Amino acid sequence: MTTTWTQRGLLLAALTLAALYLFPLYWMYVTSLKTGSEIFATPPAFVPIDPQWGVFQYVWGLRGMGRFLWNSVVIATGTMVLTAILGTGCAYVLARYRNIWIDIALFLVLMLQVLPASLMITPIFVGFSQLGLLDTPRFAVILALTAKTMPFFVILVRATFMSVPSELEEAALVDGNSRIGAFWFVALPLARNGILVSAILIFMQAFGEFVYSKSIIQAVDLQPASVGLNAFMGPNTTEWNNIMAYASIYVTPILAIFVLLQRRIVSGLTSGALK
Amino acid sequence: MSNEAQIELVGVDKHYGQFHALKDISLTIEKGAFVALVGPSGCGKSTLLRSLAGLESITGGTMKIAGEVMNGVPPRKRDVAMVFQSYALYPHMRVAENLTYSLRLKGTPKDQALKAAEDVARTTGLSQLLGRFPRQLSGGQRQRVAMGRAIIRHPKAFLFDEPLSNLDAALRVHMRKEIRALHDRLGATSVYVTHDQVEAMTMADHVVVMRDGVIEQQGRPLDLYDKPASRFVAGFIGSPAMNFVPATVSEDGQGIVLDLPGASRLSLGRSLEPGRNVSAGLRPEHLTVTQTQEAALRLPVGVVESTGSVTYISSDTDPEITVVVHGRSPLSAGDTMGLSIAPENIHLFDVESDRAI
Repeated sequence: MTTTWTQRGLLLAALTLAALYLFPLYWMYVTSLKTGSEIFATPPAFVPIDPQWGVFQYVWGLRGMGRFLWNSVVIATGTMVLTAILGTGCAYVLARYRNIWIDIALFLVLMLQVLPASLMITPIFVGFSQLGLLDTPRFAVILALTAKTMPFFVILVRATFMSVPSELEEAALVDGNSRIGAFWFVALPLARNGILVSAILIFMQAFGEFVYSKSIIQAVDLQPASVGLNAFMGPNTTEWNNIMAYASIYVTPILAIFVLLQRRIVSGLTSGALK
Repeated sequence: MSNEAQIELVGVDKHYGQFHALKDISLTIEKGAFVALVGPSGCGKSTLLRSLAGLESITGGTMKIAGEVMNGVPPRKRDVAMVFQSYALYPHMRVAENLTYSLRLKGTPKDQALKAAEDVARTTGLSQLLGRFPRQLSGGQRQRVAMGRAIIRHPKAFLFDEPLSNLDAALRVHMRKEIRALHDRLGATSVYVTHDQVEAMTMADHVVVMRDGVIEQQGRPLDLYDKPASRFVAGFIGSPAMNFVPATVSEDGQGIVLDLPGASRLSLGRSLEPGRNVSAGLRPEHLTVTQTQEAALRLPVGVVESTGSVTYISSDTDPEITVVVHGRSPLSAGDTMGLSIAPENIHLFDVESDRAI
């Protein structure tokens, strides 16, 4: 009796928190469908009286949103791949060796996580401009983002590798594999889940990135969707429905990916590849 | 068994930074021998085994396997198979793939590898399980897969790292016999690490007792039991453990006086320097309970524990003396028991060096 009530109470609390957290998302979808006057009506309507479904098509055509989204995909994919390739090896080494230098390296990696993007962008911009990287702005953003997402990825994937017993690799060595072979055919397949999940999280993070893209990419046709969204904003913005429609188109794919992979992401984060 | 040396270690040293894990280890293992490395945890037995496998590099000495110097040779080129304590089965591979992994690495054709897997599965009783994943197996079955993975390779040597310690007691006794039978059938050279002296004594042809990175003594199991070279070996081999009592050599040099209540004298059958302080080792199974008046020792009984087949009697003295009696004993706590021991069963150790006298 008591336990069921406790459980119900906790469930209610969880649902309330989820509702609070998800309300802005709901409000985004609802606002995008409202007419101009309905948006500013008091009290606000929770369901639009006259849904404007045409707004999505209008916004899509308005500023070449397909191109913005494509740029977002390019930047996010590039960041994810580069982070995964460089970070996996790094995480593996940090997981397998234990000495003072590894501790120092881990500390530095965590330090990098602390630095905010808005602080880093100025030196990055100056450096990249010296190196001529600004001529390939999307690549420059991928590089900058990779540096930013790397600590997060390394910490997560390191934990995954630590859950793979090193005896398995030793068995592979004795069975006739080389050191690299043992990593490639034993450690890597067993850490696959953790790496995949971390890579997806990096993708989502990079897909929504704004500061680096806004600062580094000047050419409109190379800008990602986050910067494109910002272009709507002005001192006298009233196009809330268009902005919200744009935002809806932008986040829905990410939400869909998350919902589809949700089970995998949660299990990948909480447990290792084994058992 | 031929006398050809399959594994030869000469003056092997291993340092981990400041820590000296293996100190000047010299050991020859004949082809086809079953050698047990035994000792308390941290004695270096596992390190020695891992060095043989090539998983640890040695910092001094030479290590030969089948006549070839193996210092610095990577594990995959040593042609030794290892069975790990945790079995280390590849969780993402089925039993058949686990068994054939080494063959596939060598480039053995698929059908041949599969046939080999089936053969090995038959000898280890895994035929029905080839399609399963390790997580779907019981502890004993996993153990067999780990063994099968080693057998399939026909290696120069089998290395076992406490392979039975994760099994329950009944299965352990069973697998003990099975591993030994397998060894005899394959005629391979095996090195077996264990902290359990019973395993070492029952399975091995040759037992190597290690402590603090040093070989304390090596020899045939019963030789270690009969003639322990040091107090450590004497206490380690045998169960229940040997009783140690401080003693003094008597004035005529023909006996010892134990530092126990009643100043009990035991005759030795040999002569030593009178007045010398020694440590006397008396195995519980060598002490016999006799009529009190004929006994060399008369001790108060502390605890009597009976398993039905044997009875363990502990004396109420310091140090405590344990006696093993076959069958049952009429004695109970508070009684006085008389004990005697044959002179040849008394082990004496130097108080300073702990070496046998």
